Amino acid sequence: MLPAPFTPDFLNRLEALRLRTRKEFLGSRPGSYSSPRRGTSLEFADYRRYSPGDDIRYIDWGIFARSDRLYVKLFREEVDLFVYLFIDASGSMAFPSLKEKFSPACHVALALAYVVLANHDHVKLHLLQEASAPSASPFYRGRHRIMDCIDFVSSLSPQGPLEMAPALGEHLRRLRRPGKAIFLSDFLMPSSSYQQGLNLLRAFNLDISVIQVLGRQEVNPPFPRGGLALVDSESQAEARLEWSGELLKEYQERLERHNLQLKSFCHQAGIHYSLFVTDNELSPFVLETLPAIGLFK
Amino acid sequence: MEFLNPAALYSFFLLPLLLIPYLIKRRPRRLVFSSLLLLRDFSSRSLGRPWGRLHLPPIFFLQLLLLILLTLALAEPVLSVRPLKVAVILDNSASMQALEGQKSRFELAQEQARALLRDLSASAQVDLYRTVPRLEQVRGEALAPSAASTLIATLKPYDLGEPPGSYGEELSRLAKEKSYERIFFLTDHPVRGQGGVIRALSVGQPQENLAITSFELARSSFVSAQLEARVEVTSFSSKEEKVKVVLKGGGKILSTQTHTVAARKSVVASFEGFSAYPAYEAELEISDALALDNHRYAVAPLSKGLEILAISPRPGALDSLRSIPGLSLKVIAPEAYEKNMDGGHSVEIFHFSALALLPRRHALFILPPKENPLVAVGGALSRPVISGWREPHPLTRYINFALFRPTYARTLKPLSFGDAVIQSPEGAIAIAVEHQGSRYLVLGFDPFPYLGQANLPVSIFTLNLLEWFYQGLSGSSIATGEPLRLPARPKGAILVNPKGEKFPLDREQGLFSRTFFQGFYEVDRGEAKEILAVNLQDVRESDLSSLAPIQLREEPAVAGGRSFLFSLWPYFLLLAILLLLLEWFLNPPVTEP
Repeated sequence: MLPAPFTPDFLNRLEALRLRTRKEFLGSRPGSYSSPRRGTSLEFADYRRYSPGDDIRYIDWGIFARSDRLYVKLFREEVDLFVYLFIDASGSMAFPSLKEKFSPACHVALALAYVVLANHDHVKLHLLQEASAPSASPFYRGRHRIMDCIDFVSSLSPQGPLEMAPALGEHLRRLRRPGKAIFLSDFLMPSSSYQQGLNLLRAFNLDISVIQVLGRQEVNPPFPRGGLALVDSESQAEARLEWSGELLKEYQERLERHNLQLKSFCHQAGIHYSLFVTDNELSPFVLETLPAIGLFK
Repeated sequence: MEFLNPAALYSFFLLPLLLIPYLIKRRPRRLVFSSLLLLRDFSSRSLGRPWGRLHLPPIFFLQLLLLILLTLALAEPVLSVRPLKVAVILDNSASMQALEGQKSRFELAQEQARALLRDLSASAQVDLYRTVPRLEQVRGEALAPSAASTLIATLKPYDLGEPPGSYGEELSRLAKEKSYERIFFLTDHPVRGQGGVIRALSVGQPQENLAITSFELARSSFVSAQLEARVEVTSFSSKEEKVKVVLKGGGKILSTQTHTVAARKSVVASFEGFSAYPAYEAELEISDALALDNHRYAVAPLSKGLEILAISPRPGALDSLRSIPGLSLKVIAPEAYEKNMDGGHSVEIFHFSALALLPRRHALFILPPKENPLVAVGGALSRPVISGWREPHPLTRYINFALFRPTYARTLKPLSFGDAVIQSPEGAIAIAVEHQGSRYLVLGFDPFPYLGQANLPVSIFTLNLLEWFYQGLSGSSIATGEPLRLPARPKGAILVNPKGEKFPLDREQGLFSRTFFQGFYEVDRGEAKEILAVNLQDVRESDLSSLAPIQLREEPAVAGGRSFLFSLWPYFLLLAILLLLLEWFLNPPVTEP
């Protein structure tokens, strides 16, 4: 059963989308993405001196007429795409509830997966959790595998703390094919932590996109005024403070700075960045915001 | 601007309590949050303020202003064009002498009254009242608050019970008639309801108490010389108490008895065979809240026999009385009463006659004419059957009423008060009245022709009534507040009350009404002294645990009575409500995340 936001209309519109990559990858079979290898697509790539055995259909007779030399036209190879969806499944993704943060994040991931599957590309889902062994799905291909994707993301519940780089490292050790990596997380972690993680992805020659998922209560905490003992959902650390409008304002400024820092890092590292606040509608985000940042064609 | 309820201004002292929620370290609410990454150093910063944990947000000052406005509204500020008119009524009844710790209830009431007066503006006019012997103004003029305060300090409670009637109605009437802006009534009674003008302030707490509720001295009969004392002790306590009853005569202890009094019950201590003294005192040796009712006073009954003045148009009809020993009888015609009324007799018998007014002594009326002050005389009865009689009653004891058959009788009906002692089916034929210390018995039949062995029931009844009058002469004392009847005395006689105050008596003065204190009143006649005992005889004053509540009512507005006043409290209240809304708007209730 598809989640509620996945209406037939939404699915139809997702099928019209295609992921955009800024790198060329070696695919496994013909597809619609450029490969660094020369192939047989319609897209011209280069000329090469004719060698015996080359297909004479690709000889550029115009050049031969002008220069009396034989050149053959080379075309790009178009291959399929391997997409890796990394979903942060740490404890903070369950705040304030699964329904309000983790599920919306999964819905975004499923929408992306559906776009990939609808284009007959490969998608693999990774749930990032520190406590357990790396949890990753097999590669799925074909839109009918969306149900497998749903089953997979439903199989785990977010919990525990997360150190991004080591957790990613566990998954990346098993990664054999380069492709596009899309990372969904709240990124409520020190900048050094997420920078290490994202640099690790870059090192694996992946085309990276980042979607930051935040709940409305994280953007605008509705704490009552007065003394509070706030407990970190991951580390269980406690902080006592006197909550006030002044503190709220300062918190929001800090969050804005933190997000800006993340966005700036992504920009410098050539990573697509987008922020999804979970009380917003999924459809406009996927169909308008993500194409706007260049994630979709 | 003046305040009708200045006591409310004391609430300002409570305002610092508003700081408490901000001062005390409230247990912080524990909330889980996704990450404390961005909140880490907030806690150290909020605790590191120079004034510690005291965080006074602007809302505090709004709340402070709100409370100030509410307090001012409670104090009922008014703008008046003439001085504020206030009445202070002090309950000075006997129960106000009860101790509350170190101070009596009356002293506490005085302090409260003076505190109230201190809060009034100097231009206010104060009328000071006391409740007993009746609700009356202490000084017949309006006083400045300072003068009223000084006057209050000089007031003392009286040994008097509460006057009859409802305080609620009396106060409402006073408020209406005198157009007071405020009446402060300080009493030890619990108060129910609250009037718009009347503010009743209750002092004291319910307390347990024991009291001597009766002290009677009597000869065993009017022909006997032996004295008997009977002391009734009543408990107004919730637990059993052991009490020591002391009988004193001439200042010496004559006898003591120890009794155990059950909760809310009475016990009687009887003393016999003690020496003769002119005056006696019964004392309860116990330390309880009200010392006043631990003492009772009585004077020795007459040592001589019963002296009777009979007024009869038929003198011979009373001759049978002369056969009774210990009885001295003088029979006169009705016309001679004026000359003989001040004689030394103690009982008067009006035989077929009556006075227009009640006589000053105990009196027996036999078949009175229709013009008499006590009863309406009804139809004649021949050998009436006795269908009812009061029992137990000193007048009916030992009588076989089956054999009690007067030959002729007339029915009687009390005009205002009186108990039907003997009744026939047609109506009462004997009515007993006790009024202001005197006993009156009205008979619708003549018992005297039938005295002797031939008619024992009537003879016993005659002895009973003589005994009843004799007991009335000697046994009971006068209640505080009742006037003393003063017999004829020489010029220059002086009355000394229990406080030692001396009152010169006029020759014509037949009554002395200022019997406000319990004790012995001495009438100094020069060569001889007469002692009269006056006691608090209102058990309600002794019951300190359940004093009757006073029901106050909202007074009807007096047309034009307060047009000179402009109440400001509604505006203060309105402003407070607006501030409350503002506070709610600025500090809305927050839902839990």
